[in-house]
Amino acid sequence: MSSNDPPKELSRYGMYDVSESLELFLPNTTMKFERVGQNVFFYARTDSEGNVSEKMIPSKSDKLQIELAPIMPLNHPARRTSYALLRLDREIYLGQYRSASVLVHCPIEIGVFLAHGEDRESLDWVTCNPLGSRFGLHGPPDTGTLCKYAEVTLATDLSDSTPYVDGVMRILVENTLSVGQTVGEVIFSVAGNSIYYDDSKAILDGIKVTLKKRGVVGVADVKTEKIHTDWRRSPVWEDSTVHTPAGAELG
Amino acid sequence: MGGLDCPHSSGGGIGLSYSEFLQILPGVGVADGWFVFSLLIGGIIMAIGVVAAKVTKMIFYKYYAPALPQDTAKNLGKVIYFGIIAIAFLAFTSSQGLDLSGLLVAGGIFAVVIGFATQSVVSNLISGVFLMIEKPARHGDTLQLPDMEISGTLLDIGTFSSRVRKFDGTVIRIPNEKFFTSNICSLTSSTVRRAEAMVGIAYKEDIEQATSAIKDEIRLTMPFVLAVPEPEFRVEELGDSGVNIRVLVWHPQHDWSQVQPVLLTAVKRALDKAGIEIPFPHRVIWQAKE
Repeated sequence: MSSNDPPKELSRYGMYDVSESLELFLPNTTMKFERVGQNVFFYARTDSEGNVSEKMIPSKSDKLQIELAPIMPLNHPARRTSYALLRLDREIYLGQYRSASVLVHCPIEIGVFLAHGEDRESLDWVTCNPLGSRFGLHGPPDTGTLCKYAEVTLATDLSDSTPYVDGVMRILVENTLSVGQTVGEVIFSVAGNSIYYDDSKAILDGIKVTLKKRGVVGVADVKTEKIHTDWRRSPVWEDSTVHTPAGAELG
Repeated sequence: MGGLDCPHSSGGGIGLSYSEFLQILPGVGVADGWFVFSLLIGGIIMAIGVVAAKVTKMIFYKYYAPALPQDTAKNLGKVIYFGIIAIAFLAFTSSQGLDLSGLLVAGGIFAVVIGFATQSVVSNLISGVFLMIEKPARHGDTLQLPDMEISGTLLDIGTFSSRVRKFDGTVIRIPNEKFFTSNICSLTSSTVRRAEAMVGIAYKEDIEQATSAIKDEIRLTMPFVLAVPEPEFRVEELGDSGVNIRVLVWHPQHDWSQVQPVLLTAVKRALDKAGIEIPFPHRVIWQAKE
């Protein structure tokens, strides 16, 4: 691409039909679908780190329908955990028996799905912000929890997300303890959280963090809070890579 | 069965009873006949036992073993197989009317003799049992045996020996006794591991600037390095040629190969980009006449 090329219009999330060829553009990422034979398509993707992925897609019909949608940020650089550790850029102080609700920018990745009616098959994923995709550890090295780590900033409202980079998530913190508490980071499993999109914006199911006493120990209980929205829900990304297992040596 | 037709038979050869048949055999008494018969029954019992053991083992491996750790599945499979064989053998001896009490006494003496003669074999067997109970390492674990200078992936813990696939691809068999009594360092039992590298910078350079440059380069180019805990820098030594700094970073347990082998490269690249000098030893040689 020469420097004189006009900037490409970025593709929105949503459904796309491929009959002959289709190009999708995300920040520093290009995806191309092309028919190469009867009921056979070719897919090529170049991401912001220069990684190239190419796949042949046999199809049942002469058309291909795909969905481009935000997904949970678990795949880059490799899928190692389903936990997220969000460190707030500003800590939240909660007095005794108080609660607070904040909106934060939560990182996302973008999934490419093959659509068959209501069913979705995971084809590929990309991240438009690879530098924001890092791991973190909660707890000691031997027994701690490996998490995807992100330093998050507060959002003003649910539509405040940065396109292709993050989605907005509500965090409700409730302090049921008789002493004030400061919350600087939250750790939760993202497996139960759905993500929704509209145009190129995304929002995620929220979480409710309850600071409470269990016996004599203060604990933080984290639960998913489903969000009610008319935005379209993203399919769940499932790793479809086939790994040939080593021969089972059981005989 | 034409041979069974005889004058003593009441209804031809087919109607001949078994004991009648045995009685008419020359030189073969009824007692001997029963012996052959019971031996036949015993053989059938043993055959059924072996088949049942094999079928049970096959069903176990097909439906239950995949849900278990490989070592456990393998050993449980053996216990099931040989357990059924043992039960079949006991049924066989019972069918033969054998009194095993004498055999047990003889077996005890025999076991002592065999035990002395095959001390190392028994030792390996016992060590194998303890390895399976204690589980200092599991199938698929990456481990180091510093005493034997062996590093690799544990393939299995067998009855007498364990197999480790070394990083060069070769498979080494280690007797269980040696394996059990040596120090075992598991490289994959923790959630994360630490990689480290040592680098020297010239005395004239700013340490803060150097560590900041290295930290930025690691953050930009090494996605498997954990952001929390952050990379750590320790001024290890004021050396002969420069200040030696140890760089310590954490990474997910399985991603050693994405971090340790390239850490020093990233450190060097960072210092080159920042224009920070990496010193090397200088020697001034004085000649005697000067």
